Amino acid sequence: MNETSYQALYLHIPFCRSKCAYCDFDSRAFAPCELDAALDAYCVQLEGLLDKHGKAGELDQVATVYIGGGTPSIMGERLPRLVRRVCAYCNPVEFTCEANPESFTPRQARELRDAGVTRISLGIQSLNAVELKILGRIHSAEEALEALELAKRNGFSTSCDLMCALPGQTYESWRTTLARIIAAAPDHVSVYPLQVEGGTPLARLEEAGKIDIPDEDFQALCMEEAAKQLRAAGYARYEVASYAKPGHRCQHNIAYWTGKPYLGLGRSASSMRHVASERTNDVSEDGAHRPFVRERFTQLDDAGTRFDREILMPREAYAEDLMLACRMTDGIPRNLLERAEAYIPSAELKAACARAVALELATWRNELLCPTQQGWLCGNELYGLFWDLAE
Amino acid sequence: MTRMDTIDTSHIRNFSIVAHIDHGKSTISDRILELTRTVEERDMESQLLDTMDIERERGITIKSNAVRVMYDADDGETYQFNLIDTPGHVDFTYEVSRSLAACEGAVLVVDATQGVEAQTVSNANLAMNANLDIVPAINKIDLPSAHPEEVKVEIEDELAIPADDAVCVSGKTGEGIHDLLESIVFLISPPKGDASKPLKALILDSYFDEYRGVVATVRVFDGSVKKGDQLRMMQGGEDFLVDGVGVRRPAEVAVDVLAVGEVGYVVTGLKDPEAVHVGDTLTFRDNPCDAPLSGYREAKPMVYTGLFPIDNKDYENLRDALEKLRVNDPSLIWTPETSVALGFGFRVGFLGLLHMEVVKERLEREFDLDLIATSPSVDYHVYKTDGEMIDVRSPQDLPDVTRIEHIEEPYLKAKVIAPPEYTGAVMQLAIEHRGITTDMIHLSQKSVEMHFDVPLAELILDFFDQLKSRTKGYASLDYEFSDYRVSELVKLDILLSGDEVDALSFIVHKDKAYALARSLCDKLKEIIPRQQFEVPIQGAIGNKIIARSTVKAHRKDVLAKCYGGDISRKRKLLEKQKEGKKRMKAIGSVEVPQEAFLAILKVED
Repeated sequence: MNETSYQALYLHIPFCRSKCAYCDFDSRAFAPCELDAALDAYCVQLEGLLDKHGKAGELDQVATVYIGGGTPSIMGERLPRLVRRVCAYCNPVEFTCEANPESFTPRQARELRDAGVTRISLGIQSLNAVELKILGRIHSAEEALEALELAKRNGFSTSCDLMCALPGQTYESWRTTLARIIAAAPDHVSVYPLQVEGGTPLARLEEAGKIDIPDEDFQALCMEEAAKQLRAAGYARYEVASYAKPGHRCQHNIAYWTGKPYLGLGRSASSMRHVASERTNDVSEDGAHRPFVRERFTQLDDAGTRFDREILMPREAYAEDLMLACRMTDGIPRNLLERAEAYIPSAELKAACARAVALELATWRNELLCPTQQGWLCGNELYGLFWDLAE
Repeated sequence: MTRMDTIDTSHIRNFSIVAHIDHGKSTISDRILELTRTVEERDMESQLLDTMDIERERGITIKSNAVRVMYDADDGETYQFNLIDTPGHVDFTYEVSRSLAACEGAVLVVDATQGVEAQTVSNANLAMNANLDIVPAINKIDLPSAHPEEVKVEIEDELAIPADDAVCVSGKTGEGIHDLLESIVFLISPPKGDASKPLKALILDSYFDEYRGVVATVRVFDGSVKKGDQLRMMQGGEDFLVDGVGVRRPAEVAVDVLAVGEVGYVVTGLKDPEAVHVGDTLTFRDNPCDAPLSGYREAKPMVYTGLFPIDNKDYENLRDALEKLRVNDPSLIWTPETSVALGFGFRVGFLGLLHMEVVKERLEREFDLDLIATSPSVDYHVYKTDGEMIDVRSPQDLPDVTRIEHIEEPYLKAKVIAPPEYTGAVMQLAIEHRGITTDMIHLSQKSVEMHFDVPLAELILDFFDQLKSRTKGYASLDYEFSDYRVSELVKLDILLSGDEVDALSFIVHKDKAYALARSLCDKLKEIIPRQQFEVPIQGAIGNKIIARSTVKAHRKDVLAKCYGGDISRKRKLLEKQKEGKKRMKAIGSVEVPQEAFLAILKVED
């Protein structure tokens, strides 16, 4: 755990024009007349938090920034203002803003670019009208492609989120969505199968028997189709759900998956950092490593006064890093294994690797333990093997 | 005279309270204890008589209990009531019969809003069969929807019990409880018995106390018993010196003597719980009574299943736990058993499937064990070609088919009492379970008694549940062992990925093997989760595959976003996945959930 200062900054905007049918994230939908007041009030508090951490010098090392939601693009002119404020405290190499097609305007695009945003991540999900409607999305396929074009015209690195295994989706409609997205040529694509979360409108529709959620076979088929088409179009898979053209991997997300400390501001945003520990238990077996614990805390209110906290002991922190590494094409590097050995018995580490290989979930490739096709599809089996090393 | 001194038999009333579930048996018991100041109100814990956790949760009484209540009646006399609780399930039918044998009367509780229901009928039948005086009590009259007059008519019409004397009560408010106690005095006969004869007492229950040894609950039919008496168990043959006698109120209170007609406990000092059998007769060692009480039956296990710890390290713990349970449950017996699939465990004998479930649950809960129970079996008599007869209680012990001359299985004489409209349904059920109708008696307009010879193996699975559901709960079942009869039985094996899973084998009648194999394969397909590879499931008799199904290979698991705060959620999900796996048993390379082993218990659902 080399870094102790924040490498990444996340800002959460928990507002949407309307809530999607599958969404269980923290976001609220408001009537237009009330939305402005709510956004103003929220921004005051968010900017206050930003100033507090910025003035304390905690953002000095921040290399990537991500403004997510919710729907950040709903903020109008407040969004570029927020971006400028962030850039007063740090000089990120990658600055992403999430946007939804219906609220991303030419003016906003220009202003964001001028303020310092380098990357736009568009929530497109599908290019099929029926599927978009079932999901409760309020934009059309055409609007989505226009928004992508707009982002490209303004010189942003672009990313599209897609969802597969949707109610009513067919293999053909999925192939068509993929082909049209590839033709529109974003720099980055994320693909997730739909997950029906309890309590969402979609879950209620499913319980009522009004929609059929495709089974795991169809999910696998869609994921494999995405991998195939995207690879052929020059996108390299670098994480289980992420594909990028050369030079366009999302550095911010990679920070999450490689154990880099990050600060999250805004309600329900999470932060992670490493804190020096006084406890002798936290000293590594050879005594050579500085004792530390990993702290993760999630902001519970708008004001940033209440947090949900968890502490991971060094052994747990390494098991978490191993688990996350398995999500990536580069897999687990030797040097991570070597560092983990300071806290996790080497025999247990070796056994977990051997088991992953024996189950054909992973394979050794140039000193890296990398996920196989089976490891991509049945990732939880693979991740479980390494998280088990936490105790 | 202190309140615990013996009393003339004319002032004793021994009775049970019987009711349909939720008609208020327990609240009425509680009110009786309260009104007679047996228990002060502040000490009342509702449902005082049921003490085991599992009993309370499941609302069933497993062990009997007898409480003495002193009642100052309106005639100015003091009466001794012995309130005897009875087990409520067919597995314990023998214990019920012994409890009722200790009574002269029964209070039949009927809910004033619900009227006569299924178990009202079956319980009334049991009480009438035992020749008890019945006091109908119409409960819950405090409720606005109560219609006691109609319920009285139902009692007369459907149970053929005169309802003129029915008492209207409210267990909730206590209204009418006084009248009920008066009715018990007037309507239930006092016990008969001869105080001058040698002791003759019925054991209705027993439990083990670490310090005092076995303590037996008894009903004295003749003579009396006191501390220092030398007694003999007439059937069991064991002798012992009485270490003390007393009664439960419901806490134990020592008394000088248990006299004729009374109910109480006897401290035997015996350290072996198996020496004391429910239904046995106690008498003097040196001056025995003429004959033991009739109706004695040895508490013999009817069903055998394998119990295996999921974690083989728990084998010794399981043995210790069984030893400890047996102290209060002498009917429990076991022998070590080894399974290729499940490792080391025990083949355990039970009175019935409910008994098995209760024991398994107690082992898991009280001793923190994770157990798998395998297919239940009865005690088969296998005659080998070399002329030898062996007892086979586990499918694994069945010799190769070429070495079997023939197999005999235990048959029961079963007696079902049900309303006439269900006669067809009951006979159909009997036929499906290889039963033969031997007699049918019309007891009244409202009830028919049917007699069957039926294989025990058929009865232990789901006969009772099916009987209850097909007769909407109106039928009652009683059974006793009859004899061994030749049957065409085969061993059905289940193969997972080509490997026989011994713990899933089944001894079954030839005619039923195909249907059972198909049903098992289908059921297992639903239960066994998709694995990283395809899992064929096959049912086989010997080398012949008679049914098959396939669990498709697992293609993909849940892929969720894993940014920032999602990471903690992801870890928790993986931990849950691991917990789930702990409840699975790896058989060869196949992860099999415990439900798979239970599936064979409920295959006919």
